[in-house]
Amino acid sequence: MTILRVALDVPLARLFDYLDTGSGVQPGQRVLVPFGRRQMIGIVMGRHASSDMPDAKLKPIDRAFVDENPLPAPTLKLLKFCSDYYHYPFGQTLLGVLPPRLREGEPAALPVNMGFRLTPLAMTEGIESVPKRAALQRTLFEALQQSPILTQAMLTRITPGWRPALKQMIAKGWVEHVAITAPLSSPIAPSPATQMLNSEQQQALQNMLDAGPDFNVWLLYGITGSGKTEVYMHLLEAMLQTPERQALVLVPEINLTPQLESRFRARFPGLSIVMLHSQMNESERLHGWLRAQNGEARIVIGTRLSVFTPLKNPAVIIVDEEHDSSYKQQDGMRYSARDVAIMRSKMANIPVLLGSATPSLESWHNAQEGRYRLLTLSQRAVSSAALPDIHTIDTRIVRPEDGVSDVLLKSMESRLERGEQSLLFINRRGYSPVLLCSACAWVAPCTRCSARLVVHLRQRRLRCHHCGHEQRIPPQCPSCGNPDLHPTGHGTQRLEEVLAQRLPNARILRVDRDSMRRKHAIKEMTAQVHANEVDILVGTQMLAKGHDFPNLTLVGVIDTDSALFSPDFRAAERLFAQLMQVAGRAGRAEKPGVVLIQTNFPDHPLFHALHRHDFAEFANSLLDERRMAHFPPYCHEALLRAEATDYAPVRAFMGKAQGLARDFSQHVTVYDPVRPQMERLKGMEREQVLIQADTRKSLQQFLQAWVPLLRDLPQANKVRWSIDVDPSEY
Amino acid sequence: MNSNRLVLTGEVTEVAELRYTPAGIPVISLTLKHASRQIEAGMQRKVECEVPAIAMAKLAEKAKGLKAGDIAEVAGFLAKRSLNSRQLILHINELEIIEKG
Repeated sequence: MTILRVALDVPLARLFDYLDTGSGVQPGQRVLVPFGRRQMIGIVMGRHASSDMPDAKLKPIDRAFVDENPLPAPTLKLLKFCSDYYHYPFGQTLLGVLPPRLREGEPAALPVNMGFRLTPLAMTEGIESVPKRAALQRTLFEALQQSPILTQAMLTRITPGWRPALKQMIAKGWVEHVAITAPLSSPIAPSPATQMLNSEQQQALQNMLDAGPDFNVWLLYGITGSGKTEVYMHLLEAMLQTPERQALVLVPEINLTPQLESRFRARFPGLSIVMLHSQMNESERLHGWLRAQNGEARIVIGTRLSVFTPLKNPAVIIVDEEHDSSYKQQDGMRYSARDVAIMRSKMANIPVLLGSATPSLESWHNAQEGRYRLLTLSQRAVSSAALPDIHTIDTRIVRPEDGVSDVLLKSMESRLERGEQSLLFINRRGYSPVLLCSACAWVAPCTRCSARLVVHLRQRRLRCHHCGHEQRIPPQCPSCGNPDLHPTGHGTQRLEEVLAQRLPNARILRVDRDSMRRKHAIKEMTAQVHANEVDILVGTQMLAKGHDFPNLTLVGVIDTDSALFSPDFRAAERLFAQLMQVAGRAGRAEKPGVVLIQTNFPDHPLFHALHRHDFAEFANSLLDERRMAHFPPYCHEALLRAEATDYAPVRAFMGKAQGLARDFSQHVTVYDPVRPQMERLKGMEREQVLIQADTRKSLQQFLQAWVPLLRDLPQANKVRWSIDVDPSEY
Repeated sequence: MNSNRLVLTGEVTEVAELRYTPAGIPVISLTLKHASRQIEAGMQRKVECEVPAIAMAKLAEKAKGLKAGDIAEVAGFLAKRSLNSRQLILHINELEIIEKG
């Protein structure tokens, strides 16, 4: 009798025993098992001779998917590590990263690919049997001799008019149409789009290649427009020369993947490239996953979740824009994809490359300490492209009218006259962030969150940008009855309206989550900008990253001051990164760029550093502050969060949790429970406890002792709680 | 304390552009210049004042037709301009155009 130890997607930190009914299912393979009154998909973790459960209680599995490739051991090992490190139940960790189709009870397989190959007859007769004048048939014959199977796509690349010739060859019994079972590997074709590297790029590449194929963390710090992507591609070209080796490229946002995808496809036409992100449909995701696992996909490009994609033979991992906050998962297992990528590289003993114009302070610190190896690109790749001039507009002196100061408006006008493009950056979508009653000072609140509702004027709606709550704009103030309510402050919609009034000849395009909702909206927007059909872009952070618009020479930044005085100690780091990125949109080609930032605090050191494009100095001064304040990366943190519809059970749970922590908190600091900035979110009352430790080890030791006790607290059932290791938001 | 009613005849000196509240109610601001003779302490005297006024909804549509120089008789209530303001504004709830200027 064989006992299967199975991981299930349930919030319990253990595995479940089932009887194998002779299927012979192996560890890493899927099984369908009865669980309570339901059936669930689980992953077999081990086969054992006995169970701690009495035999009578053991249930047999319902179904085993023995034909599927088991999840490889390194993937399971990585997930086990993550489960331990992030203190999240292993079953949920494991099942949570699988593509949705693999969590359903149906067999999962790749569609059968068909290809053409030479028959044994053709092999014996040889190419001599093909008439000399049938040149096309000879070409195809030679190609088929070189690689065992060719797909339609491959044949088209060899010669677009292959169909009639191949038909004749099939008729003569030389070629047969067969299913492809083994993954095809094709050599890296000489790339048509190779760009020359400048000396800095070349040096960075050479350093990585010289260090060999083993584990190393590289931090590629390259200013905006310095050609980091080109370095990635040269690195991949070199690393993927070895047949069957694979690369994983992580990108922060789905929005950026289409651009990167087309660049990679143009560069590596012979390699199978797989995209993985959450907006793909379920079968695309499944097939991408399976192709990565069986080794067919040579390059996997994906967002956060794809860091767990099994690879048969990984050679290198690249994390683009490594500082980006979207790498941090904010629910379920709260992992950092960048940190997981580093751990995965370490386990696989392969190099990992982190790239950014504004590295996270954690990575910067590691590079300063010599744990990561720093590569610097300090010049723009297009040698004639200078860095933009960054200036502030003192809004205490030049009062902006309708949000836009005259200086900024004049600069936009002059761009308009020269036929160049401007970008107005404001990190707030909607019409205005506040609906105010001037008679009694009432502002429209979200009933479910500690937040204000945002006015979306064109739709006459108020929307909460935190929970999605939506309502009609009230005809009068619910507090005093005054109908004359005022939208106060500026969002993208209002700015668009203001500009349309002030610059009536300009073609204005708004780019935010509302205007880019349609599926191909971003692609169309990019094309419009490239075709010079747009004069002024008004947009949110959506526009800050990755876009390369050569005719864009002015970036105006509206209202960033709130971030200067945020209680979040990472706010300055994020603001600098964001402004650097958005500034990087200006002047990427021959024309010089200018960046104008409207602020009430032009003397803030952040703006001085920005003006000098001096990330290093700014980062080092922030690190000094962090060291003095004993904040990360000079300490290690975990956050216990709890929430419930009422505050009382949250309070009770947190009180108990804090009490338990006292017993073994010699090496950590456990702070008192506090309400986060958003006290209520989505109808839930929230509270949190911060834990700080000098070393990762003492933090982990504490959590290992503490978290299991939390699971057993009776108060834990009345709240939703979670542990966030290395939290990025508070 | 329910009484709050002012009846005033005056010459329109300014009419702002029609605007809308976020919920779509039309709003218009205007200024009326009033001049008349009134009785005080049993004696007749001259009175002059300029009164800022506001009209909404149908009355705003009606007031939109006013031009500087028109004479109108309005009635309404007084309210302060905003929470921390000491300035009063006449909120019109009756409007009659007496004479086109």
